Amino acid sequence: MFLEIKDLSVKIENKNILKSLNLNINKGEVHAIMGPNGSGKSTLANVLAGKEDYEILNGRINFKDNDLFDLNIEERAQEGMFLAFQYPVEIPGVNITPFLHSAINSKRKRKNKEEIDNLSFAKLLKSKASDLGINIDMLKRSVNTGFSGGEKKRYEILQMSILNPDLAILDETDSGLDIDALKIVTDGVNKLKTKDNSFLIITHYQKLLDYIKPDYVHVMVNGSIVKSGGSEIAAEIEEDGFQKFQ
Amino acid sequence: MNIQDNYQKNKKNIFFSENKDIQTHREKLINIFQNDRFDKKNNESLKNINLKNFIDFKYKYLIPEETSVINNNQENSYSIVCVNGQCSSFKDDKIEITKILDEDYNDFSKNDTIENNDHFVNLNSLFLNSGFKIVIKKNNKIKIKISNIITDDGLTIFQKNNYICEEGSSLNLIEEYENKNNSTSNILNVIKLEKNSQLNHFLIQDNSPNHNLIITSHSSCKKDSTYTQKVYNFSEGYVRNFHYSELIETNSEVDLQGIFFLKDNNTSNNKTFVKHLAEDCKSNQVYKGILNDRSRATYFSNTHVDQVAQKTEGYQLSKGILLSDNASYFSKPELKIYADDVKCSHGSTIGPIDENAIFYLRSRGMSKIAATKILISSFINEELSSIDNEQMSEIIQKKLVRYLSKVK
Repeated sequence: MFLEIKDLSVKIENKNILKSLNLNINKGEVHAIMGPNGSGKSTLANVLAGKEDYEILNGRINFKDNDLFDLNIEERAQEGMFLAFQYPVEIPGVNITPFLHSAINSKRKRKNKEEIDNLSFAKLLKSKASDLGINIDMLKRSVNTGFSGGEKKRYEILQMSILNPDLAILDETDSGLDIDALKIVTDGVNKLKTKDNSFLIITHYQKLLDYIKPDYVHVMVNGSIVKSGGSEIAAEIEEDGFQKFQ
Repeated sequence: MNIQDNYQKNKKNIFFSENKDIQTHREKLINIFQNDRFDKKNNESLKNINLKNFIDFKYKYLIPEETSVINNNQENSYSIVCVNGQCSSFKDDKIEITKILDEDYNDFSKNDTIENNDHFVNLNSLFLNSGFKIVIKKNNKIKIKISNIITDDGLTIFQKNNYICEEGSSLNLIEEYENKNNSTSNILNVIKLEKNSQLNHFLIQDNSPNHNLIITSHSSCKKDSTYTQKVYNFSEGYVRNFHYSELIETNSEVDLQGIFFLKDNNTSNNKTFVKHLAEDCKSNQVYKGILNDRSRATYFSNTHVDQVAQKTEGYQLSKGILLSDNASYFSKPELKIYADDVKCSHGSTIGPIDENAIFYLRSRGMSKIAATKILISSFINEELSSIDNEQMSEIIQKKLVRYLSKVK
């Protein structure tokens, strides 16, 4: 199993968010989690990425034969996990290019691979940016600083394509995107899909799933997955909303 | 020993002690010390310090055996090694350096911008034992680098320097304070900018834990002149940077910037007082601090806009990152505006490092310590990248790397 979440319960500030959640993802699969506001979708994404604000009450998570709780935030990233943030953080003064260069090399270092030199990285970055319709001038700017909502999401996908993760978690990447930006972003995701990597896509709406075809769709309500199936579930939600699952 | 006895005992080593007017002024200062109840609550010069240590001090001064060196390295560029606050005399067609004279003392003592309860300035006037005067002659563009050296442990340097930029002149002044001995420097810089002159003043402070550095400066700007001060404080000992400024004629400007990097039990006190006394003048202040361990800092800022000072622009900003729960930074930017057509703002942001930003960087594979360091560097990136002197930029970067190496 690539990612196995078993009986996971999580709380924050005395509020139980995830309740005995189970989810299995195999290599090469695309899973979508849909759910109403406050159902715990982003909490799940943050817990997987290692955010330390949460208290794990119960359960375990295995990722590529590692106990995920044994790995800190950066070790999870270096092992191949990537979270595309719902609200990417603005970091004035940290330039995008050296930041991404340092990120990719930290991952390669863990894998005992040779570091990428400046020139090769610049070429890689330029080519990936061009695929996503990102202006080269944007790469001279500080991380997410002064970006529009769409630019931030596009930049998340650029980072994802550079870091080439084994498991990418997209936390409401479609929110705040117009239809053209949504197409560019989802094209970027589809280009990255291989039989060796997996995606966990968190969304409210079926629209994103029109562009990225999931193998499985899960409905999350009140901290648990209440229904799993194929893409027909997304259509069902689009038709009837989440009410009937609550 | 009380201040009166200390003064009487060491009078022979103190400048101008034979001058009657100065003697009268000093008697007044002694009275201030004897009558003041040292109101720590309201007197901003007393925050975060134990004044007793500075008042009950052992006076020690040595006239340097080696005289200072002044080199005219390249055209318009001079380097000065200032020993125990003393500087040799020098003269060419562009600059003139002399010892300070009685008249310079009197000139300053009549200025009322510096409050008479700033006890460190009063101590400086009382125990004055060194100093110099530099005049940049009309329409010359000069670079000066001053390395301040203190020769012996236990020295108490009370130094008053006068800088005069004559009309149309420009001075790029770099001062380095890197003393490793157990001593105290109390320095007062009095800066006069004549019409259309400019002074860019950089101060790099990197003293050892037992060295106390108290720097007070006072600038007055005439028409179309600009005074810029940039302070980079990496000292492990106590540092006080106070600046008093008067914009006395139209279209003059003062730009103050202070960045301090504190750790252990260290303290940095910063204060500014800018008086807008004419139309169309501008003042800008940015003070940023990074505080680790149990370090403490203050930033008191007062911008006073006189009723004649229409079209004033006055900005104050202070920001701080607290790397430890035990570090503290007290900031109080104040504006007093008596004119009605002005643009002024003040702001202050102090807090721990942004945990969301740390999480974001770590989620891309960066270690927590690397993420912390990159965020500290980014916090001051704007100020550091604005340094247009390559050599100075390199010096500051090296000191920053050293400071960051201690951040855990």
